[in-house]
Amino acid sequence: MNFDYFLTFLVFSPLLGVLVLSFIPNTKESVIKTVGFLATLPALLLSLVAFFQYRAGVSLEELSENVRWVQFADPDTLGNLFSINYELGVDGLSLIMIVLTAILSTLAAVASMYIKKEWKGYFMLFLLLEVGMLGVFAAENLILFFIFFEITLIPTFFLIGKWGYFEKEKAAFSFLIYNGLGSAVLLIVIMVLFARTGTSNINALASILAADSQNLVFSSGTKMGLLIAMLIAFGVKLPIFPLHSWMVRVHVQAPPSVVMLHAGILLKIGAYGIIRFGMGIFPEQFQDIAVLIAVLGVVNLLYGAFLALIQKDFKMVLAYSSISHMGIVLIGLGAMNEAGIQGAIFQVVSHGLIAALLFFLVGVFYERLETSNIKNLGGLAKGMPITAGFLLAGAMASLGMPGMSGFVSEFMAFLGLFKELPILAAVGALGIILTAVYLLRAVLGITYGKAHREFAGVTDIRNKEWVPALVLLGIIVLIGVYPSVLSDPLTSTIETIIFKIGG
Amino acid sequence: MSSVPISAYLALALILFCIGLYGALTKRNTVIVLISIELMLNAVNINLVAFSKYGAVPAITGQIFALFAMTVAAAEASVGLAILIALYRNRKTVNIDEMNSMKN
Amino acid sequence: MENAWIIPLFPLLSFLFLIFFGKRLKGASAYIGILLSLASFVYSLLVLFERFSSPTHKAEAVWLTIGDIQLTAGFEVNQLNALMLVIVSLVSFLVHTYSKGYMHGDDRFHVYYAYLGLFTFAMLGLVLSPNLLQTYIFWELVGLGSFLLIGFYFYKEEAKKAAKKAFIMTRIGDVGLLIGMILLFWQVGSFEYDEIFAAVAAGSISTTMITLTAILIFVGAVGKSGQFPLHTWLPDAMEGPTPVSALIHAATMVAAGVYLVAALFPLFTASETALMTVATIGAITAIFAASIGLVQTDIKRVLAYSTVSQLGYMMLALGSAGYVAGVFHLMTHAFFKALLFLAAGSVIHAVHTQDIEKMGGLWKKLRVTGPLFLIGTLAISGVPLFSGFFSKDEILIAAWAHGNTVLFWLAVIAAFFTAFYMFRLFFMVFSGESRSDMSHVKESPGVMTIPMVILGILAVVAGYVNTPWFGTYLGDWLTEGNAALGHGHIEGPSWIMIVATVVSLLGIFLAWLIYCKRSLSRDWLGAKTMYNILYNKYYIDEFYELTVVKVMKFFSLFLHYIETFLVEGLVKGVSAAVSGLGRLGSKFHDGQVQRYGTVAFVGLAILIVVFAVTGGYLK
Repeated sequence: MNFDYFLTFLVFSPLLGVLVLSFIPNTKESVIKTVGFLATLPALLLSLVAFFQYRAGVSLEELSENVRWVQFADPDTLGNLFSINYELGVDGLSLIMIVLTAILSTLAAVASMYIKKEWKGYFMLFLLLEVGMLGVFAAENLILFFIFFEITLIPTFFLIGKWGYFEKEKAAFSFLIYNGLGSAVLLIVIMVLFARTGTSNINALASILAADSQNLVFSSGTKMGLLIAMLIAFGVKLPIFPLHSWMVRVHVQAPPSVVMLHAGILLKIGAYGIIRFGMGIFPEQFQDIAVLIAVLGVVNLLYGAFLALIQKDFKMVLAYSSISHMGIVLIGLGAMNEAGIQGAIFQVVSHGLIAALLFFLVGVFYERLETSNIKNLGGLAKGMPITAGFLLAGAMASLGMPGMSGFVSEFMAFLGLFKELPILAAVGALGIILTAVYLLRAVLGITYGKAHREFAGVTDIRNKEWVPALVLLGIIVLIGVYPSVLSDPLTSTIETIIFKIGG
Repeated sequence: MSSVPISAYLALALILFCIGLYGALTKRNTVIVLISIELMLNAVNINLVAFSKYGAVPAITGQIFALFAMTVAAAEASVGLAILIALYRNRKTVNIDEMNSMKN
Repeated sequence: MENAWIIPLFPLLSFLFLIFFGKRLKGASAYIGILLSLASFVYSLLVLFERFSSPTHKAEAVWLTIGDIQLTAGFEVNQLNALMLVIVSLVSFLVHTYSKGYMHGDDRFHVYYAYLGLFTFAMLGLVLSPNLLQTYIFWELVGLGSFLLIGFYFYKEEAKKAAKKAFIMTRIGDVGLLIGMILLFWQVGSFEYDEIFAAVAAGSISTTMITLTAILIFVGAVGKSGQFPLHTWLPDAMEGPTPVSALIHAATMVAAGVYLVAALFPLFTASETALMTVATIGAITAIFAASIGLVQTDIKRVLAYSTVSQLGYMMLALGSAGYVAGVFHLMTHAFFKALLFLAAGSVIHAVHTQDIEKMGGLWKKLRVTGPLFLIGTLAISGVPLFSGFFSKDEILIAAWAHGNTVLFWLAVIAAFFTAFYMFRLFFMVFSGESRSDMSHVKESPGVMTIPMVILGILAVVAGYVNTPWFGTYLGDWLTEGNAALGHGHIEGPSWIMIVATVVSLLGIFLAWLIYCKRSLSRDWLGAKTMYNILYNKYYIDEFYELTVVKVMKFFSLFLHYIETFLVEGLVKGVSAAVSGLGRLGSKFHDGQVQRYGTVAFVGLAILIVVFAVTGGYLK
């Protein structure tokens, strides 16, 4: 861990793969897939090294990087240089997100074996996407963050639009429009902050605003406006009702390996942004709208659940289930206490893993049966018992079965909210029942019951297909059984947040 | 001796410039458009010369600049006309509405 | 006793091993399951004996830290836990053994044993839990085991429905438990039972809060123990293999609700309202389920309704402050009901039908199963000298002593019903002539009958650990050192015992007259409507279908329309705005230099005006 550009190398290591890929002819399918997979490994290894070093007690400060990058003068006060630094750094929260990104990227690269065409372009975009995602979590500077944020946008657009299913173009465009608007709003917020304070470093901003209790830098109205604009920007990503419809399309139309990353990481950028910037920079204002956030969370939870109840396509069920589960993140954040925030972060990680697992399995059976319509499936456990078993396990994790990560996060989020707003929390708890109802309806509809088809010639999950499912399930169970593996690294981050809101 | 006030030069230049601008933006005939552009350049020249005499820091630079501008304007006019003629040979028109090849 | 935490690990090991390697073992999986469950039984027995002489043992470690809050995980061996450990591991071991015969030849033999292992692990973990959170965790895992086993025959549409229903109905209860538990946490600051009881005893929680949390927790128990109105899943759960019904839906999991109320007994006694709720729900369930049991024709469903009814008894006991009576009945019921289910499984195994209308005259064919079934029937009917007699008597006394006169009489009527329908079942299955071809019927193999014999012995003798005649050893031991649980034995008027005996004998006699002697018409219910109502279980399922399910579907559809028209409309609006703006912009890009010039000029003009007005940059 003792070399200077550790994080830079970690973030940009997938580009090595892009470089190698550019020399490989487009026809060599297996070589391309292998290279694409191998290119995700350095980031995985480095992030795990950092994670275990951190757990062993090494300070993360050592990893911070700070290089002068862009400078220009303020026209009013010549000589007072505005400078944007290239600043990377991690704390417990972002380190966990980086590890999650690296793990899911590697597994999604394995799941990319189902990609049928233009592997070279696919993997180049895929690796670029990974760079963007890693960068988003490593950036300590709003402008750098924004750049990485945009880097994630473009590859995703092409990955959906080119390698998706029937309505892929439509999905890609609605993805771009919504997220483009979100980015625009975010850019405005960043620029206002930058122009007024002269810095775009997150920690510096937070301390400037914390010292500004007299509202000298910004009026209180401006602060609230900036926070709400930020919530909208990240709310599109998360997504918060009613900004979610693009995400349903993407879930359904994108190839499963991309959805693994999309549901697993990209949606989480929204949650990460709200925690890091919303709560981190505007803690007081966040407290004022905490109730609103909690209400939105409950609305998300129930709305997603009710809609998931009547969907015919399993992918739609999962899409609405993601909306519903992101409601739990909001519920946790709205609680504004340790339990709630920790629950929200746990839910971010946990849902990332569970959604990736479920979409991987969708990929597995879609590949063989060419449908994800619940009506056309059924009795899958007969022909593909192992897949069905994993699917059932994934559903159990998703509906919050104890012993798996979903329970811990759901429990903590509700624990937090019950302290602050018991009645709202009780309404939200209905969502727990609904989650069970819609997931069982869908999963049992697929795996149990009479087989609608002959499974002759359909092979069950095998060889390397095992690996992603087993690894994901393993991590899900690990977090569920021994949550300290996640909560210990988070302790200092959460303490800082709680300290800021004065809780 | 009372001299002509600077505002008069400026007003003249402004009027010339506006006439030129109007012509450049509205006329259909390309030749007239070119002539209008010359008018605008001349308006600028008048300003340059006027300021070189009556400006806050009177200097000969303004007049030299005006000479430069005239030279460049002459060159520009000849190049412009050459293009126009080439275009006329191709299109058989000097109507500016039909010259929308930038669109494609 | 320090190592009691190992007990649940044996079945967990069995689960993990069989799920990964079971496929290669095939039939040998059974031995692994049986051996490991035997290991936990032996260990539990050791723990129980040790507990007789040494005090409660408790050990914990930090599981999760949330800010200043530390949640712990650990185990506790107190009297109730030690007793439950033995009951659970014993029944589990016997069921493991029995299943080797019953499930013989199934292709998913190893999966079955793996699931049994998972369930046993969860159930043993549940009874060792020292705090509410851990209880909840295992509580859910137990539900998972039950769900998997009910849906074991996954290709059957009914099994799928039953599994789903069981999971969802119990989850409704679980959410109540979760809410109650969290509310209690923020009152007490801990999930530990000890600290909760200390807070209750110190009076630091308001009575309203105690009542609220107690009732919410009881909702969890209602779901799991199949109490009215969340009982409908339990009879449907009979779709699972019969040994599973014996283990889960008779002896252990459904008793978890009763266990939970017993474990939190000091909380309930602190609120009279909560106790009254428990007692009332218990009594209603007891008579309600018993009345349905009168007319059912599926052997397992009769037993299922009888289970529901008996669990109602236990709740009535606990709600009448009869801690010992409830736990005592829990124990005896575990033995005789497991016996009845295993015997019923043996009958089904022999005749391949569950419809009692098609059975009859099996007494001569099944020379082992028949007498054992009779023992179970006598025990559940409360015939003197059998175990059920003593425990039921304790319950009736508790109800009377607590002043619940109405509930007491309800319970007596339910006892009459119980005796009647159980003997109706017995006579229809075993006496008279067979009503279909029974030539191929053979007695089950020893691997199935031996567990039944063991349970049969227990069904007779288990009652003698706590009798008014020889001493109330169980009661004294259970309540030892904990005044909050009440007395080891509640004194009651002796006529109660006589009434109970008379009532059950009357029920048996009536059943004999109708179904064996046939001197009374079988259309004893006179009105056809009454019969239909009972046969259709008071139309509860239909009622739920019409109300809850329909309302939910309707609401979903309503939201679906919101989604399609409002939210999608928003999308359309946004995309229309974007593309409209684009179209407007593209109008200016017509290749006309003059147009470009105009636009540039207008822009310049606007800028100049702005600068002129504001005198500089926009601030």
